[in-house]
Amino acid sequence: MFKYAIKRIITFIPMLIAISLLSFIISVNAPGDPVERLAKSAESEGSAQEQSGASKKIKQELRKKLGLDLPIFYLSITDLASSDTLYRIQDKYHQVNLKALTHQSGNWQAVSNYYLSLLDLEKSYRKIDAKLIAENDKTLDLNIVNEACNQFGSEIGSLLETSDNNLVQNSFNKMNNLLSSNSFLVPLTKPLIELESRRTALSTNRTQWKTYIPALNWYGANNQYHLWLFGNNNDRKGLLRGDFGISYIDSQPIQDKIWQKVGISFSLSLISIFLAYLISIPIGIYSAYRKDSAADKGMSLILFILYSMPSFFVGTLLLLQFANPDNLAWFPVSGIQDPTIFDPEWSFWKKIQHRIPFLILPIITYTYGSFAFLSRIMRVGMIDIVSQDYIRTARAKGLEEKKVILKHALRNSLLPIITVFAAIFPMAIGGSIIIEVIFSIPGMGVEIYNSILNYDYPMIITVFTLSGFLTMVGYLVSDILYAVVDPRISYK
Amino acid sequence: MQNTNENFSFKKYAWSQFKKNKIALVCLYLLFTLIIIAVLAPYIANERPLYAEYKGETLYPAFASSSRTDSIFNSSGQLDEILQYDITDWRRLSFTKVIWAPIPYSPGGMDRYNRDYVSPGGKQRFKNQDGEITDAPKRFRHILGTDGIGRDLAAGLIHGTRISLMVGLVSMGIASLIGIILGALAGFFGDTKLKMPRVKYWLTLFGFFMGIFYGFGQRKYILADAFGESITSGILQMLVSILIIILIIFLFRQLSRFLQFGYLKTETKVPIDTFVSRGIELLNSIPRLLLIITITAIVERSIWIVMIIIGVTSWTGIARFTRAEFLRIRSLEFVQAAESLGFSSIRTIFKHALPNALAPVFVSIAFGIASAILIESGLSFLGIGVPDDIVTWGSLLNLGRQNLEAWWLIIYPGMAIFITITIYNMIAEASRDALDPKLKS
Repeated sequence: MFKYAIKRIITFIPMLIAISLLSFIISVNAPGDPVERLAKSAESEGSAQEQSGASKKIKQELRKKLGLDLPIFYLSITDLASSDTLYRIQDKYHQVNLKALTHQSGNWQAVSNYYLSLLDLEKSYRKIDAKLIAENDKTLDLNIVNEACNQFGSEIGSLLETSDNNLVQNSFNKMNNLLSSNSFLVPLTKPLIELESRRTALSTNRTQWKTYIPALNWYGANNQYHLWLFGNNNDRKGLLRGDFGISYIDSQPIQDKIWQKVGISFSLSLISIFLAYLISIPIGIYSAYRKDSAADKGMSLILFILYSMPSFFVGTLLLLQFANPDNLAWFPVSGIQDPTIFDPEWSFWKKIQHRIPFLILPIITYTYGSFAFLSRIMRVGMIDIVSQDYIRTARAKGLEEKKVILKHALRNSLLPIITVFAAIFPMAIGGSIIIEVIFSIPGMGVEIYNSILNYDYPMIITVFTLSGFLTMVGYLVSDILYAVVDPRISYK
Repeated sequence: MQNTNENFSFKKYAWSQFKKNKIALVCLYLLFTLIIIAVLAPYIANERPLYAEYKGETLYPAFASSSRTDSIFNSSGQLDEILQYDITDWRRLSFTKVIWAPIPYSPGGMDRYNRDYVSPGGKQRFKNQDGEITDAPKRFRHILGTDGIGRDLAAGLIHGTRISLMVGLVSMGIASLIGIILGALAGFFGDTKLKMPRVKYWLTLFGFFMGIFYGFGQRKYILADAFGESITSGILQMLVSILIIILIIFLFRQLSRFLQFGYLKTETKVPIDTFVSRGIELLNSIPRLLLIITITAIVERSIWIVMIIIGVTSWTGIARFTRAEFLRIRSLEFVQAAESLGFSSIRTIFKHALPNALAPVFVSIAFGIASAILIESGLSFLGIGVPDDIVTWGSLLNLGRQNLEAWWLIIYPGMAIFITITIYNMIAEASRDALDPKLKS
């Protein structure tokens, strides 16, 4: 037994690693740049100015804080042409572009030269002050100068993010046109010529064969995955120590947001699973007791049909019937409390009393989802057990049917309840997204729904990872409990 | 007795068993009806008439592509009118003879005179050929009502049939492909039966990684471009990639022939069952809806991607059934006979064992279709993954939830989902009973 538990725990660890890897892969591939998202939510009051020095600094700090200046994983498999230090580039889109360029030419040195001179050009472009030019040369209109400068700037911006040959050529042509028609852009001529020569070097010095040779880079423990999972010694604590990151929506720590919401989802799922068992166990007993009677057959058909009825349809129907002024307005439509009368100072019981009418419909829907399923399982399980030899023995020795069913059969058919342990934890963290959305219950389900609508990836990934972890823990606990409770099960 | 045994066919027996279940038989007919509705959807619900005679020309607008343009000439041969099929208001043209589709509305078409949730029995407005607003004539009533922007519910439901069938077909097609292959390999070979020289094993694994490197890693940009262009060219390039991977694995396996000496030559067991079982366990330990929602959150919104994701995440049940069935079958005489005749493992698996293992797998596929449809309608009910402009049963039901007065938007789409799922579940259950009497409860 003990040996089995140890063995089970040992197989459990690689699964946890696999889940964390899976969610990390998903989070790395999430579209958009986390720094941009967080910077936006951090300074939402700031006007839409062009990149000022201050916001660039904020972004750099954010990058450092999120660990985005680190390599992604312990190791990476690339090709011989690629650089192993690409992760140091600040901007995510620049990284993507440089990767594509390297793939095209196979010559990282040339790509890097090209990129550096592009940055050079950008630097000299930033030095140009449209106002100063307009003041010095009265023949020029400030608007025209600004217009030309902005056009030039946007061409640089697009060059930084495109690898397509035609688009690059297009940008070069436009820039050259701007240079020739606006004399005040002269200081940019030299870096532009330099850039163009490096671009030609890029296409002439191709070493494409290098992209066909795989290369393995080792980065060590100082990487994003390690940081995300284990944290570091100062500001980040890591997933395993309860630090789940920062939400993109309001820059709040995710663990705080989860703690606020998890209670309601957890209690709802607990109540509903309890109720579902309360209903399905008698159904199972009855079916075994009166097997193949008309009532049993009818019940099994009804259960089957109920089983096919999606719970979101049931929930909407309940709303339509019982929370609708056109039919019966017995229950409130949404939420778990009436904000106009709810008082957080109320005693616990008063709060519960106030919330009951809000919770009845959701609990019915919640219970419905598991009840139909559980009843079917209970029924099949009971019928299966009633046909076992030891039940026949019990009958043969003259026990009355009631005792046979309630004492001998029921006990064994209740074993599968343990499996519920595997389901309770993830249900609480994931909530039932659909049911919570229908009834606007402010639990984890609605939280996940909102984070999906707002592309709040850290939240999504956290919930994903946690529910995976918790399901694994649930399986582990229920397996071990099973082995403890049922002596017939031997795990050799 | 001898005679009947010779003519005994398992298929016939199973079918006769299935037919005994009258409810399931009705469900099977209903399924055929659904398929017919799905196939004929554009001709059942279409705002363009099926057949029309207009100013002397005979047109078949519903059968033409919506981008078609017709020029109508009058009797003296001059250009009279240009009919642009997609924007013409067909109901206002005065035809000499016309046959409308049974439901004369298209799923996305907005009837501007019947906006704001017009109920099936309520007053419906119609602009007639003289431009007057009147009560809708019986032929042009929205028989199941409309939604907030005047889209016909009946047309939406008819076209939703198409999507729900497609979801079941595509996602379970993918799932069964993955599930059957992995389950068959795991069940047939187990952990001990597949043996190969150590060098071959290593080189196969190495070849797999190299295959991924050349097939996906190096072709990343080609694949991305192809998928950006169109879904068909994307799938084509994907197939090329898979071909490259298979080729590379094959090359490395061939290479291993030249390296078989000493330690490298010793036979080693390939624990293929462990790989597959762990994979199943991993995928099962993540709540499926959450997994699908998480993936849909990072990819672009498309009904095809939703189908693919559902397929890729729901093969575990099929794999488990196939594996269990193969564990049983591999010790039966006919498989042993095939092996002792020297057939290759691949031939034994796919030609001899697989046809005999498919019955229980079929049941699990049928249940899988029901749950795929359930997941898709749940996703579109939440408005996740499926684009807003695609009308599905789930998205219609969602419209009803947001406006409880429009009961028809709740009842009809909900019933459509419910009935479809019941049909699949019922067929699955009945065929399970028919195929394997032992399992009957």
